[in-house]
Amino acid sequence: MNSLWWLALPTLLLPIWWHRKKRVQVKAEPLASARFLPRTEPRQMRVWRWSDIVLLIVRCLLLACAIAWLADPVFPWRGDTVVVAAGTDAQWTEREVQAAGFGAAARVALPAQRALAWIGAHEREFKPQARLLVLGDIPMPALLPQFRHPLVLRTLAKPLPPGAARVAIVSKRPQEWRRMFAALDGPLRVVLENVPGPKTELIVWDMPEAPPAALRAPLWWATDAGAFTELAQSQALGTLRYADGARGRVWASNAWPPQDPAAARALLESWRTLHYAPLPYTAPAQSFAPTRAAARGDANGALRDFLLLALISLFAIERILTHARRR
Amino acid sequence: MALVSSALLAHTTDLELVIRHVLAGLGQGMHAGRERGAGVEFSEYRAYAPGDEWRRVDWKLLARADRYYVREAERDSHVALWLVLDASASMAEPSRSIDGLDKLGYARILLACIGAIAQRQGDAFGLAVLSGGRVRLVPAARGPRQLQRVLATLKQVKAEGDLPDAEVLRSGLRFTASPALIFAASDFLDWPSSLSNVLVRLRHMRHDVRAVCLQTEAECAGSFDSGPAYRDPEGGSAVFRFGADLREGYLRNRAQHFDSVSAALRANDVLQVDARIEQAPGEVLRQWLRQGGRR
Repeated sequence: MNSLWWLALPTLLLPIWWHRKKRVQVKAEPLASARFLPRTEPRQMRVWRWSDIVLLIVRCLLLACAIAWLADPVFPWRGDTVVVAAGTDAQWTEREVQAAGFGAAARVALPAQRALAWIGAHEREFKPQARLLVLGDIPMPALLPQFRHPLVLRTLAKPLPPGAARVAIVSKRPQEWRRMFAALDGPLRVVLENVPGPKTELIVWDMPEAPPAALRAPLWWATDAGAFTELAQSQALGTLRYADGARGRVWASNAWPPQDPAAARALLESWRTLHYAPLPYTAPAQSFAPTRAAARGDANGALRDFLLLALISLFAIERILTHARRR
Repeated sequence: MALVSSALLAHTTDLELVIRHVLAGLGQGMHAGRERGAGVEFSEYRAYAPGDEWRRVDWKLLARADRYYVREAERDSHVALWLVLDASASMAEPSRSIDGLDKLGYARILLACIGAIAQRQGDAFGLAVLSGGRVRLVPAARGPRQLQRVLATLKQVKAEGDLPDAEVLRSGLRFTASPALIFAASDFLDWPSSLSNVLVRLRHMRHDVRAVCLQTEAECAGSFDSGPAYRDPEGGSAVFRFGADLREGYLRNRAQHFDSVSAALRANDVLQVDARIEQAPGEVLRQWLRQGGRR
């Protein structure tokens, strides 16, 4: 815990003690006829006096600054806040903000993926009575998050981005392959081509001869293992063999094109899972009650740069003053 | 003319200026001059030196040679003057009522005036400064240059250290057998000391020994500030305190000490003048120079 460093604050007493200690001395004036007086014990000066007050202040600040840098303090300064995922519909956002009564609240725009994580990491920056409203297409987290502030989540699922995987089929029996790809459902769309191009993501190579050496693609499906030399060192996974080569990853199987729906679905599902990230699932709208859970993320380093700069400046000043005092 | 006060003298360090003012108040002829005037036999010419009296310049010779010459007369004064200055650390004791005045400065003024008087009378005079365990000697001589030498030495003196011990003092002060007049300025806080022994010894050698014992008003009245702690400038690191409750004891100890000093000086027939440095130096000089005060 970084905040344990605050326990080091008593070290500030050290420079105070040094600068104070020097005053514990006896100052005696010469008096020629002192011999006629009785001797006495040297008295310490009762006056609270300091030497080099400027140097003392700089040294104390230096220590305090170093401790603060280690403790990495966070000051709660954020009030009611609306966190809007980037790319959210502006009209809908306005409507939701007004409906939730966050008209005067500050707004923070964040990527949708990071919104809840950001709130968790910066939770110490929020004032105790602050409320939070999160708007946009926020993906559902794996675990139910916990916050120390009341948080309202309003989500609006965005339409899926138009996009499709380009698949080139080089085969003497293209119809069988086309039928299989036509049966594909789910979020992934496929555009079928006859000639492979530079944007092609999958090449179905159903030919006995080897493909041209210059042809590249992230994934090849080959029915004839002899056409690909890299398959000589392939690894087997059931009937499927796979290998990585200069022209891309090659999957090979003698059982292709799949003859039954289950095999076709299994092949397409494997392809989609392994080569395309899952699309996030938009979380349902809900409210989170504040919990006493400890804030995640001990430090966020909000003040670290400033403190480091102050530390260096104070150190330089302290050295200069010490040097000047010795001269 | 009124005597110049100590407060006024504390403003300047120019000893010649001080001498002029103090002696002007004192008046001339305190000391019987010897062999002055027309009857003095001519001895030699000497080049003029700053400080020589104008009336002693030979104007005819100036007309011929275009240079200033002074007629030196043959004189044989039998009396040599010795100025003995105690410049140990305790002599730095300041006057607690007059700023810038201390015992050493006052002693310096007194001895410079004596030297100036001796020079005007044509007596040979020398200076011995006892400071920092050493003796600094200006051999006895006559004339204005000697006065300049003595004044320059006096100006340089700083109060520091202890009195030289008896051996150093005996080898340092080798006075001739001829009769001498010895003026010693000290605070006599150390008694008996090497200085007291030397003064008594000189008195036994038939020299005329005159001592001035310098004190301050605050010392005599026991009116020190009770706030700060005090230390003896010659006594190491011991710390002393002063307060109203200790005043009586202080005055008793002090009176006892100076009674024994006076008794010893009287027993040895040494003239003692007690001087407070706040007094006008002219008064003190008058007492100190008083002829036959003792005899």
